[in-house]
Amino acid sequence: MAKPPLRKPKKKVCVFCKEKVDYVDYKDTALLRKFISDRGKIRARRVSGNCNQHQRDVATAVKNAREMALLPYTSTAR
Amino acid sequence: MRRYEVMVILDPEVEERSVAPTLDSFLGVVRSAGGAVERVDVWGRRKLAYEIDKKNEGIYAVLDLSCEPETVSELDRQLGLAETVLRTKVVRPEAH
Repeated sequence: MAKPPLRKPKKKVCVFCKEKVDYVDYKDTALLRKFISDRGKIRARRVSGNCNQHQRDVATAVKNAREMALLPYTSTAR
Repeated sequence: MRRYEVMVILDPEVEERSVAPTLDSFLGVVRSAGGAVERVDVWGRRKLAYEIDKKNEGIYAVLDLSCEPETVSELDRQLGLAETVLRTKVVRPEAH
């Protein structure tokens, strides 16, 4: 039985904490697009690498942007 | 007095040059109630991410105000009644 090699995943640092952002703007679609998949879904924290608070802020910003038709709720394009 | 940011999506059939006067007529509510309009930013025509009322594009505008809470809710109500307005959103960027 070969054990899979143990690899320590590199700890990601939250980009917003690094930049000391205290408000995630829902109008900045270029930024928010980095945190949604090509299907339009919000990226999970383990993927985006955000801290708890900033992941919440990103999620509400994406949801606000969706309400104003700046970002899609779903996109069929694969 | 609080600072508010109101985003408005207007019907694309509204003519480009009548956008500013249309918005200004709504902003009369704010001015008469003693509020201040700090900035009116018209983004212009933009494709919508999905269809709203069978329309594929809209005219976006962002208004920065500072006024009393009752004044914004009145502004939002009047915008909602107008047929040229597809959608609105009021946020307080400072409170979160």
